[in-house]
This record gives sequence, structure tokens and C-alpha cells, in this order.
Amino acid sequence: MSKYSDELSYGFTSSVAPPVRETRIGVCSAFCGSCGRLRKDVRSGCAMLQRRRFDQSGGCQLNLASGIVSSFTNTVMITHSPLGCNSRFAGMSGTRKTMRASKGKINEEFIWLHTNMDEIDVVQGGIEKLRRAILYAQEQYHPDIIVIANGCVPGIIGDDIDSLVSELQETVSARIAPIHCEGFKSRYVASGYDSAYHGVLRCLVGPCSRGDNDDDNADDDVNDGDKGVGVDSAGKRGRRNNSGIVNLFNVGSNSSGDEAELCRVVGALGLKPRFLPLHASLDDLKRIGEAALNVSVCATHDDYLLGHLKERFGTPYIIDTLPIGIKNTNAWLRRIAEHFHLEVEAERVIERENAELNSALAPIKERLKGKSIFVGGGETRILTTAEFFHSLGMRLLGVKAHNVDRFVEDMLGDVTGDDLFIEVAAGMPAEEINLLNKLKPDLYCGHIGANGWVARLGIPCIPLFGQGFNFMGYSGAFELARKADKALRNTNFSRNISRHCALPLSVEWMESDIKDNIKERENA
Amino acid sequence: MSDFIERAKFSCALGGALTTIESLPRAVPIVHAAGGCAASLSGTYNLAAGYRGLGYCGGTMIPTTNIAENNIVFGGEDRLAEQIESTLRAMDADLYVVVSGCQVEIIGDNTVQVASRYGGRNVIGASTPGFSGNTYRGYDSVMTSVIRNVVRRSDEKEPRTVNILGVVPGHDVFFRGNLDELRRLLGLIGVKANAFFGTGESVESIRGYGSASLNVVLSAQAGLDSAKAFEAEHAIPFIQSELPIGPSGSAEFLRRIGGALGVPVEDVESAIERETREYYSYLERIVDVYTDLDFQRWAIVAADSYYAHAITRFLANDLGWIPFLTAVHDIEGEREQAEYVALFADVTSEYKPKVIFERNPSRLLDEVRRAWADNHNDKYRDSPSPAYVVGSVIERGLAEALGAGFLSVAFPVSNRVVLNKSAAGWRGALTLVEDLLTNLVSAR
Repeated sequence: MSKYSDELSYGFTSSVAPPVRETRIGVCSAFCGSCGRLRKDVRSGCAMLQRRRFDQSGGCQLNLASGIVSSFTNTVMITHSPLGCNSRFAGMSGTRKTMRASKGKINEEFIWLHTNMDEIDVVQGGIEKLRRAILYAQEQYHPDIIVIANGCVPGIIGDDIDSLVSELQETVSARIAPIHCEGFKSRYVASGYDSAYHGVLRCLVGPCSRGDNDDDNADDDVNDGDKGVGVDSAGKRGRRNNSGIVNLFNVGSNSSGDEAELCRVVGALGLKPRFLPLHASLDDLKRIGEAALNVSVCATHDDYLLGHLKERFGTPYIIDTLPIGIKNTNAWLRRIAEHFHLEVEAERVIERENAELNSALAPIKERLKGKSIFVGGGETRILTTAEFFHSLGMRLLGVKAHNVDRFVEDMLGDVTGDDLFIEVAAGMPAEEINLLNKLKPDLYCGHIGANGWVARLGIPCIPLFGQGFNFMGYSGAFELARKADKALRNTNFSRNISRHCALPLSVEWMESDIKDNIKERENA
Repeated sequence: MSDFIERAKFSCALGGALTTIESLPRAVPIVHAAGGCAASLSGTYNLAAGYRGLGYCGGTMIPTTNIAENNIVFGGEDRLAEQIESTLRAMDADLYVVVSGCQVEIIGDNTVQVASRYGGRNVIGASTPGFSGNTYRGYDSVMTSVIRNVVRRSDEKEPRTVNILGVVPGHDVFFRGNLDELRRLLGLIGVKANAFFGTGESVESIRGYGSASLNVVLSAQAGLDSAKAFEAEHAIPFIQSELPIGPSGSAEFLRRIGGALGVPVEDVESAIERETREYYSYLERIVDVYTDLDFQRWAIVAADSYYAHAITRFLANDLGWIPFLTAVHDIEGEREQAEYVALFADVTSEYKPKVIFERNPSRLLDEVRRAWADNHNDKYRDSPSPAYVVGSVIERGLAEALGAGFLSVAFPVSNRVVLNKSAAGWRGALTLVEDLLTNLVSAR
């Protein structure tokens, strides 16, 4: 997979806003057919040209970008927009609190502000409100970081938030990071990750190479390679990094259980894993450049960050599979080990872990054997999760990806071969319900927001991820199998719901072929 | 002029429109905006309104034009027409409500006009860009469109029928339970109440709401525009009232509505007496624990104007708590603020509450500390304790800082699951007492 990301170049941080993924990477957001066909169409570019006649709401890059930057410690989050953008924070401060608690971080109240743009601001601009909000955040809370998420309204009317930030940065002790994540700019919501990391790279990560004065602590760590690990990766200035520090890049769907498990297996190689950048403090971010290796957990999230960190600090990176299920956790670990020439150690860990896990899974496999399943959600996560269910002896009826891009091109045929059915749609539960009504799987595993509709169809559901679940690594594989097994021990909930709660879809729609809903786009 | 807000307890007009449409019976929204607005605003109310869910067609199910940068340049009306037509084929509904987001309103797309082309097919439109206001604005935009385009003109008025306005679904986390209880209350005095949302409602029945003889607006901030539209289009007058909570509030409410509709006083009084007797027959259960363990509390209420006075009055006049501070976050105009403060004249406790208007939640703690002598590490220090905070989930931090009891009632509520619970009437007040005191005994 990395050979495709190698074709990408970085160096966008000199401009104020990042390019959207449509232009930077290319993305398919509407497709229905076989994985083999999709791979061909992704390569030829045809898959990128499709749209829908009947469309439903999906994600907004502002939400994804804000999800990352709002997790930072001692941060005030300003949404420069009307009240609706990020209004979901009203219901989410508790989940931030429990997430921090589960990671052993100190409790802190999450503070968010809205500039509350109104009709007058649409005409006159909202910069003065933003100025007052920044100064209020500084005076009232003295945060380490103030992040500003820029919404569609200031984006369209052209509020120059960057000039304001450079003006105020001289008088405000908090680091101010503007995030350009206007929803209308990209239909590929993962652009929001780039928007967030663009702001992080420009404003929160030190500009200097590792070893410079800015980073006194880094020097200590860089030289304490006490595990005798192998080294390559010459830094930009020819320094060798013996630290054994491996940055693992977490994503919003990582639980702290996932992080503990991945730290355990990477640590078992004698390396020093640490999770970044979600829930990090400003100091953590400043020290992001001191690692010997950066490792992606999910390619969809972090190639932009890892690519830029390589350019700035010379840190080599691995963007490969997502460590879900036995096969992909093994592969992920092998790639890391290979980098440090720890192949022998890795095989020892893998052999022991696989043996323990397989014997624990044996009785569960017996019960799941032959049961059918459909998996929906983010591209890398669903392909690896589906592969795991398949490896348990379940019948995989198909997968649904929010989007498909070059990062999963090689994985498409990997799960059960080129014939695997795949639908590509960000959201679009109407299409998914149409399909599932015909496929009738025994179990559905899906992204937040999709499961409820599938339950109304009478199909039992398990979530694809969650703050309280560990689904990554070896312990995660066991939990995922248990979760599927548990759901099938009593399927009354979805059965009852399907009898009494209606779906809003017409008979005509339910009988239609959803391929007819996909058309070639006219422009952009 | 509106300024920035800390931890706003609102969504935008489009969010208010969506939570309203999701609560109308078998209604489907069609959103003309960027792809993420609908699901994310709908999600706000799914998470922050006691897990109210997505209704008949919410969340990612919401049909959306999903406009992007090229539409910002070239306009999106053609795309909207295509989306309306495809939605009419794909979705099964009794009403389709086309609403607009910021992006398309700035570039000048005429959403309502495009929607009106499909008027013969149960499609109506409302202009609801986020920058036009908060949740209340979206509620009124949608309701006004329903009142103009769905409700039929009727010269015949039913003398004992009212329409209830101002109960904003989701923003009132207990809206379904409250509407059920309001219907029951009015039924006690022979008055039929149309609620638009919840039990027994349908688009067909809403078409007949032009024959009500009175509109009752239960909020000072939402529902007024809708009531005016009813007055202009259907010649139905309105009165402004308040959500009745507990014996005092409910009795006053029934007297007010009964009086306006000419219900015989003895019918009203006998209903009040019956209900009050039933209320105290239940409340009697907690008399011992209330007195033995001293469950009288200093009450700090932080809520929107819909709940703030209603809850304060209940806690003070009915439950006997001491109303220390009431913070209201949704009234900006000075005249309106003065009018709202005047409502508190009916608080009968010896200690009278301080009423403040404050949008930024972090200032409440300062306010509480300022209102009482500073703690100089004195050996003897009087203070408003034990305290109890009744607010939204955002005040949890305030309660923690004060070591106070805590119950979330006003939006947002993400720490409770709400199904048919209510706060309204006699029965809602009993539920409220259960919840307030449960938190005091939960460790026992």
C-alpha cells in the first residue's frame, strides 16, 4: 500500500489552507459492484467521477477536523460560524471527560465558544467577534492552545482569520491554530483530517528540526537507545535516531483499550511506543519530531501528517494496514519490526500471541461458523474488520465504504478475492437498507449512525468501534469476536423494532436497483 | 448585537428546523445545503436531548442536495429540483419540508420558491439558514410554513379546542411527555389540545388545526411568530402562558386557559382539587425522608426562559426549596429581561431568588461566589449550602465545584435517557421530585 502513498508529495504548510483530498489524492464516493471492478476503476480514475441522483446527508469535514483538535489538553475550541456548526459539543463534553479518564489524564472541563455569526456578520464580516472570543478565551481560561474552526459562512464571505491570528498571537500566550475546514469545500470528509493537521503542523508543532534548541528534552531521548535496537533513518541533518521511540498515530475511533493493546504488542518488540496526537498536550505535540519512526494506525486519517513530519524532521513512516484481526495485526507488527530489524523478535511475539488467541477463539468460531455478516464504515477499518470475520468462518456478504481512495487499492482483493461486493457511499443509509433487505445478513457491523436504521430492518447490529471497546490488536480481535457472538445470543431487540418502527423508504425505492441511483457527475 | 457565546445551549436555525420536522408525524426533511449539515445538526439533538433519536427520518437518512464548491459558483437550484424529485420517489412520507443552509442562502438560491413548484405533492419550504438565528428561529420558520401551507382555512371554530405552540421538540428534552401531560391537563377541563408532535398526531389531523379557537404559546422565545401566522392566516387569537410544573403552576395554567375559553370555574376548581389531592397522596411518601434527612436545598437554576421560572417556582412554592439564583441564558433585550424578572413576583418563599441573564456558563460560578461573603478560611462561615443545581448537563461542572446536588432538565441533557418522562403538570412534577431526590439517596 505504501507504494501509492510514496507517490504523494507534501510541503503544503507554507499555504494558509491545505488542498482538499479530491485534488490531492483523488477519491471515489459513489460505487456499487465488485471489489475487482472498483480497483480497476480507481486506477483508471473512472470511479472518481460518480455522483448520486438521490443523495443523503453524510459527514462534514468541520466535524472531523474539530474532533481531532478539540481533544488536545487545555484547549479552548472556537467555532467561527453560526451556532449550528459543532453544536454537537453540547452533548459530547461527557464523552471527552470519560475518554480522558480512561486514558488516565487529568479531568478538565471542555470549553468551546461560538462566534455566533448572524445576518449582520454575513454582510460585515465576523472578525471582530472572533477577536473578542479569542481574547475572552485567553483571559478567562489561560489555555495552552486556542483552536479556531472556520465554517462555511466565513469561508464564503472571505473572513481573513489568519491575519487576525498573526496579529493576536503576539499578545496572547496561548498558541492559536486556525483550522480551515469549511464543509462545502470537500465532499470527502477525510479532508477534515488534513485541515486539522495542517493547522497543527503550522501552529502547534515546532518548526525546528529535532535537536534544535526548541526541543531540549528531545536530545536526551534521542540518545538513550538502551534496548540496542537497530537503526536506520538518518534525520535531515544526518543525525541517527537510536531512541526506539515509535509514534503511533491515534484516530477518533481508537479506544484507550486499543491504545493499551497496540502499545503492548509494539512494546513487546523492545520499542517505546507512544500515542499521538489525539488527547495530546502542547508539549507532547512540540515533541512529535523526536521519534525514530512514525506509524499510522489508519491511512485515511494521517498520511498528511506523517508525510509532512518526514519532510520537517526526517522521520520515516509506515502507512500500511490497520491492526484489526489476526492477519492484519501480524502484518502491521511485521512492518514495524522490519524497520528496526527486529524480525526474529516479531515472529516470536506473533507466534505466541496467535497461538493463545486462536485457542481462545476456537469455541467462539464454532458458534459463528456459517453466519453471514455485512460490514459498513471507513475504508480501512471495514476491510480489515471484514477480513477478521471471514477468518472466523463467517460468510461475508459484502462491505460498504464511506469512500475509497488509493490507500486501500491493494486491500480490495485481499479479503475474499475480487468478487467481494462493495458499495461506496458516505452515509446513504437508503442504499444500504435496500441492499441489506435483499442480502439479509445474520449480523451487521457498522459505523455510528448506520446501525439504528439497520436494526429497524430487523438485522442485529454491533458497532464498528466505540470508546468503551477494544477492537484493535490481538485482545481486540478476541473482543470483536465476542461482540459478534454476544449479539447472536439474543436477536429479539432488532426483531421487535422492525415490527413496530417504520423506515421512511418507499416500496418503489426498496425494489429498485441502487446502481440506477449512481450517475456520472457533471462537474467538480 | 449578538456576540460570541461560550458553550452555547443552542443549535442554529437549520438545527431547530430539523428537530422540529423530525418530530412532525411522518414528515421528511429535504435539506438544501452542504452534505454534512443535516446529519450533524440532527445528531446534536440525538445526543444532547436525552437521546431523543432521529425520528422518522433524521441523521444520515435526511435527503440532502450535498452541494459543494461548484454549486457555490454556479448556483444549486437545479440540483435541489433533482433532489426533491428523487426524494418523492424514494421516500414514503405525508409531508416533505424543504429547508436551506447557510451556503445556498448566501449565494441567493431561492429554496422556498423551488419547493413551491411541488406544492401539489405535499412539499413545503422554509428558509432556515444557520445565520438567521438559533433553534427557536428554525422551529418558527418550519411551523409558520406548516401553518400557512398545510393547515386548512376553517371558518368554523371549535370553542373548546386549542393549539399548543412554543414547545420546541428536542430543545425541550421532555417535549413528548410534557405534551402528553398538557393534553391530559386540558382534557380535565374538557379542552382538546392539538400538539403537532407526539402521541396521536398525523399530518391529516394537523390540516384541521385551523378550527381551534385559541393558540397557547408556552414560551416567550419560540412560537410567537407561529402564533402570529395562525392569527393572520386562520384568525385564531393567542395567549402567552408558561409550562406548568407542579401544583402551583398547573392550577394557574388551568385557571388561565379555562378562563380564556369560558370553562365554568367550578369545573376548573374541582379538577385542580382532584389533581392536587392525588399529587400529595404520592408526595406524602417522601415526607419522612425529606424531613429526617433534611432534603431542603438552596436551589440554583440555570435554564432557558421556558424552564427557568417554571422550575424555580415549583422548587420554591411547591417543594419548599430556597431559590438562591436563577440564571437565564436566552433573553437578550432589556425590556424582555425586565418582563421576565417580573414573573418571579409569584415566588412565595421568604428568601427571594436573584435572577440573572447570562449566556456564558463559566460566569455562574463567579456569580455564586460573588453573591455570598468571601471565604477567608474563616472558622464560621455562612453560605448557601447544601445546594442543588438544576440546569443542563453543562452545569455539571458548576455542581461539582460547589459540591452541590445536580439534575439536568434543560437542554442539553446527555447524562440521562428520556422516553415518556415529563416535567409538566402534577404528574411531571412527581417525576421531577423522584429524579431530584434519587440523586440524594443514590449512594445509600
